Amino acid sequence: MVSETRSAATSRSVEVLAQKLRRRQVVGSRAAALETLLVLRQVISKARFSNLEQLVAIIRDAGRRLVDAQPKEHSVGNTVRKILHHIREEFHAATRGTVVAKPASFSISKFVLQGQPRKHAVLPKSESKGTLRENDPDDPDSFARGLKPVLMEAIQDVLDELETVYDNISKNAKDHIHSDEIILTLGMSKTVEQFLKSAAHSHNYSVIIAETAPSYDGRIMAKSLSEAGISTFLVPDSSVFALMSRVNKVILGAHVILANGGMFAVSGSLMVATAAKAHSTPVVVCAGQFKLTPLWNLYHEYGAHDFGNPSDVLGFENGDLVDKVDVVNPYYDYVQPELIVAYITNDGDHPPSSIYRLLKETYDDEDNEL
Amino acid sequence: MAAKSGNFAKEKLIDEEEEVLQAVILADSFNKRFRPLTARKPRCLLPICNAPLLDWTFESLALAGVQEVFVVCRSHAELVKEAIKDSKWSKPGSGMKIVPIMTAKETFSPGDAMRDVYTRGLVTSDFVLVMGDLVSNIRIDEVVRAHKERRRTNKDAIMTMVVKESGERHRTRAKGESAVFVLDPETNECLHYESVQGYPRTKGINVPREILEAHPEVDIRNDLLDCSIDVCSVEVPSLFQDNFDYLDIRRDFVHGILTSDLLMKNIYCYVAEEGYAARVQDTRSYESISKDILSRWTFPLVPDDNHPGGHIYELTRGNRYIAKGNTVELSRTCNVGKNTLIGTSTTVAENVTIEASVIGQNCRIGAGSIVKNSYLFEGAVVGAGCIIERSIIGAEAQIKDRSHVAKGCLIGEGVVVGPDAVLRPFERLSRKRSVDDVAADEDDDNSDIEEVESNQDSIDKTGLGKDSNAVVWPRGAPADEESDDEGPENYKNQRFMRLGDNASDLEEDLASSSDSESDTESDSSGEFDPYNDRDSISGLSDLSLTSSALDSTTSGLGLMADAEFRTEVTQSLARAFAENHSVDNAAVELKTLRMASNVPLARVKEAVIEAIVERVPVVEGDMAAQRREIAVVVGRWGELINKIGGVDPVETVMMLQVHCASSTRLALFGQILAALYQEDIVEEDDIRKWHELPSSRAEAGSVDEHEHHHHRKPFTEVELENMRKCWMIGTHMIQQFDAQGSDTETESENDTETETESEDEKKKNVATKAKATENESESEKDTESESESDEEEDVPKGALPTTSAHGIASGLRSAAAVAAVAGGAAGVAAANADSPSAGQAASVDAGRAAGTAAGYSAGIAAGLAAAAAVVGAVVGITQKTPVETPETSEEESDGSSESEVEVKKSAVAPATTAAATSASATVPTKVEEKTKAATVVVGATVAAAAATTLPQEEKAKVTPLAVTTTAAAVAPATASTSAILLSATTPTATVPLSATTPTATAPPAKAAATSADSPSEDSSEDEDSSRANTEDSDSDDGMSDAVSASEGASSANPSATSSTNVSEDEDSSDADEP
Repeated sequence: MVSETRSAATSRSVEVLAQKLRRRQVVGSRAAALETLLVLRQVISKARFSNLEQLVAIIRDAGRRLVDAQPKEHSVGNTVRKILHHIREEFHAATRGTVVAKPASFSISKFVLQGQPRKHAVLPKSESKGTLRENDPDDPDSFARGLKPVLMEAIQDVLDELETVYDNISKNAKDHIHSDEIILTLGMSKTVEQFLKSAAHSHNYSVIIAETAPSYDGRIMAKSLSEAGISTFLVPDSSVFALMSRVNKVILGAHVILANGGMFAVSGSLMVATAAKAHSTPVVVCAGQFKLTPLWNLYHEYGAHDFGNPSDVLGFENGDLVDKVDVVNPYYDYVQPELIVAYITNDGDHPPSSIYRLLKETYDDEDNEL
Repeated sequence: MAAKSGNFAKEKLIDEEEEVLQAVILADSFNKRFRPLTARKPRCLLPICNAPLLDWTFESLALAGVQEVFVVCRSHAELVKEAIKDSKWSKPGSGMKIVPIMTAKETFSPGDAMRDVYTRGLVTSDFVLVMGDLVSNIRIDEVVRAHKERRRTNKDAIMTMVVKESGERHRTRAKGESAVFVLDPETNECLHYESVQGYPRTKGINVPREILEAHPEVDIRNDLLDCSIDVCSVEVPSLFQDNFDYLDIRRDFVHGILTSDLLMKNIYCYVAEEGYAARVQDTRSYESISKDILSRWTFPLVPDDNHPGGHIYELTRGNRYIAKGNTVELSRTCNVGKNTLIGTSTTVAENVTIEASVIGQNCRIGAGSIVKNSYLFEGAVVGAGCIIERSIIGAEAQIKDRSHVAKGCLIGEGVVVGPDAVLRPFERLSRKRSVDDVAADEDDDNSDIEEVESNQDSIDKTGLGKDSNAVVWPRGAPADEESDDEGPENYKNQRFMRLGDNASDLEEDLASSSDSESDTESDSSGEFDPYNDRDSISGLSDLSLTSSALDSTTSGLGLMADAEFRTEVTQSLARAFAENHSVDNAAVELKTLRMASNVPLARVKEAVIEAIVERVPVVEGDMAAQRREIAVVVGRWGELINKIGGVDPVETVMMLQVHCASSTRLALFGQILAALYQEDIVEEDDIRKWHELPSSRAEAGSVDEHEHHHHRKPFTEVELENMRKCWMIGTHMIQQFDAQGSDTETESENDTETETESEDEKKKNVATKAKATENESESEKDTESESESDEEEDVPKGALPTTSAHGIASGLRSAAAVAAVAGGAAGVAAANADSPSAGQAASVDAGRAAGTAAGYSAGIAAGLAAAAAVVGAVVGITQKTPVETPETSEEESDGSSESEVEVKKSAVAPATTAAATSASATVPTKVEEKTKAATVVVGATVAAAAATTLPQEEKAKVTPLAVTTTAAAVAPATASTSAILLSATTPTATVPLSATTPTATAPPAKAAATSADSPSEDSSEDEDSSRANTEDSDSDDGMSDAVSASEGASSANPSATSSTNVSEDEDSSDADEP
């Protein structure tokens, strides 16, 4: 009885978030990741399990529902994957010794076969803390009781990471932006905003911001930056190419970073990145680690661009045109890895070509499909 | 959901934490535009983009955070209930509680449904009212917030309608049924609403002139898409209950509320800047909304994102949505065009072309078929080689091989057509019902289906194909069309709502007719209207705006109705006169009558004035008797003129003049006017204003200008002459006012008197008052008291703070006027009368207004009283009726009591002269009864006793006055006017106080009574006053005393002391005397 009401309560909280995601009441990668994390914490704290598989199944189930509700918000799935990864890690740490570590040495030739790099780091140690036992017939809850506190700690770590993501990304900002440089950016990305503001503490530089139609988020960004005392220019999207020759560096935000090193970012990014390529201007992307997604072929999916409401482009009041014009208003552009020089994450700076490795470290292979 | 700014969010939390947002869905269309598709299914369960309309509606409400939904269903209610039960909404965690409400089959209109909502008491707070066919992504919660915010300041804002700006020719905008909104651009208040329909074409709307007068700027808009999302207050259902003739929410309710001058409610519009909302109200809008959904206007309510049916679709280039999960079989050679949706498990064979269509689940489309702009419901089967254009194919319907379905066809559930069928455009087919169905449908109102089925023999069924089981619905306009021509449901207008019908022939029709009209127009005016050639049904440019005058009944029909109305009013009034109804009842009756006949207010007023004038019996030769008669009639019924609504005394005088001019009672004009003046139905300023009107002067040509009479036949010479005479009377009256108002009153008054005496006797009645004053109390006394009143200012000097100087001055003046009658101690009386006001600085304004006006009325009343004490008293009594309402604040009541004190003299004086002794005899005993009501009755008895004529009903009327303390809030202006209306009498003095401060009720009455019965004992200050006047001065003392301290007179409420702040202890001795 108790467990039923408990699971009903958790399923309700999952359902509520799923609805919010579906109705786009929760938007933005970070917000979605945070919400997901909170729901998962609730799920875990209320879950009853007596071995790892049960726990993983519970979390996967909740995660799948959330991902299905809004497949375009990848940070939801990423958060679930990350949690699963942490659970396994904690489990291994807690039952260290009872599980035999794979005896292997790192070899690049066997990289794919070997799977997780983490597992090589595990040093075979003498049996300690063997208290955690799965499927204890006397006390089926003992496993959960033993594991839950560490899990909560792990989730708290992820939460902290999410909350400090901007600071961690921007702490190296001064190494990327130098005095008297001209930086170009577009859209309104919190990450980029923090990054630029942080760099402004130590350097004097200028920012050119494209308006970013049809949302015109660039205007908000321009306002925010100029209020922070940064010399800011707001330009129409069409003049990006013309200005590119003067620009020292392009800094972009990302919606999703794919396994191949490409990314989805606010529409207009591709145009900027291509222009930058033509002028050999470096393109740097600032993004939190939670945007890393173990997918590589998303750009094949037309719908992944997340087509929005045509009303941003063509007003509903233009009655005559509405009938005759098909309006396409994608939220995102796919930017190929060739156009990007580096990703600046809260986990250090990486070239697009090493994103796959970062992914392997961050998530478990078996979770790629939830 | 973090985007709420701090302060406001907090406020909202506190306010609405416990409040559940409710919504009412009217899940019935109350029309038959979707027949025969809706023969077996309610409209709200028809799929649009493969999800039932009701689910779209729920989703729209869920977006707004609605927590509780009542679904009012009528036809196929069981189906709706089932559907709700099976949907995802009834699962836990859906966040919405959905309650299906089965309403009776007798519910034929949205209005009925609202009445049902009311009787069931479903809604407990502000709620969202939508139709069951809504597709929207508008943030309704923001509308609700705006509505609640508005309600906080304006309780009369009962409704907020959501409208969306759309172009004139937007596909989603209903052509057959749109509306013109007259909005205040600043507040978005909807000032006027007029529905517009395609055929017969609405060519103009009438915007009441009051709106244009009251608002410097208005927006008149016909480009708004009515989303049928209304945020309503709780009282909306009850308004439907009160107005049983409201059927449609827009055409009847909104229009009715806005045009009613009784309800005084406001309706606002919310012009949605963002978001999409539209109703699937006909097959045409079904098509356009389907297209809107497919082209993502409803984002995030789009098939690949948040499909209400829970399906998952994959979006590919060109807005093609294919169900996910590899259940759709698309052959290699098929051609799926843009803006297409294909449901799960559907099979599309080779060489099929699908364009801009919605294909449901489990459909099969045979090889080589072409489906364009069509909507196939679940399980529809299309054979090979078919062509389907712009049609809706119902669930499980079969179109067999090589059939051609032309545009606009509606093919019902389970219909089989073909093979080789050729359907005409706009064909409507349904399956013949089996016997079981008929039995099952018994309780439904399917008379039309039966009719259709019974008429099948007469219909040409060739072209349906040999396997067809179809029943053909009537083509073209039904025979009995003409009867139903008015509403939007007529056949031709419905054509604007039909799928695939561009109604170009109708437009041409209309265009040509309007062309011919404009031809004649341009002939006469010599102007060319460039807009006529871009003639569209709904075009803004086509709406010529005609501002209607107050009375739009200038047509012949209007005149007839007018005559009818006149007789009705006359009868109603005659009944009221004969059966002696109360003024309120008579007024209500007239209001109802007016509503029923839809006549402007002015017409009612005219009729009332006419009736009152005719009511006055003509007494030949005896001026005094005549005056009495007039006073009786006007005193009893005069108030009716203002009670029927729209107080406009100038108009009243004008009407009186016009009527008298054409009546045999011309001679009575002056007297009646004077009586009206005395009753304060008209005031001095009004008479002056009237006097200045060109039309009142009856100058040549000016008479007809007066718009209220433009429907009358022109005035004859005699009438014009009479009008002039009336005007002359007015001139004299005004001269008299001037005389009264000036400081050299005595002379000018005398002048007027002498003048009037020499004048025509019609004017005498005005003069009589002054004359009476002269006769009874002698003009020397008059002067004496006048001069005294100047000196008086010395007497109360200590008690009078400077702040109230003006009020005092006017009080003094009025007191002086009274003193003319009383002839003695008026000065002291005035001083005493003023002391309460002096004590209450706050009451200065009220006191001043009351004082000034009281001065006039007192003067007149006094004169009358002196002339005929009995009549005066009667008048005084009858006048107390209007008293009870206005007194809301203590200040006001104090102010009015003050004025009463002065005014009282006029009535008390007669009381003394006529029956002082009897009054004093009765009172003391009754004073011992301490209850308020009793005191009031005592007061009434005093007055009644004083007046020899004793109308029975008066007593009855007084008692409730004391009880009804729920006085409506009335502007101070009215408060002061009605304070004047008090015109004395002891009971009236009680009433206002009892209405506000029950604790203070008893003392004034008692004190007044006390004073009334202590004629012989002069107060310490009144030594010099003559015996006749001690009454008055005493009563004043007593009054102020009663207000201040009630320890005297044994009885009464000790709490009165605490509740009043005016304590003039020197007066207490007076009250103690008895």
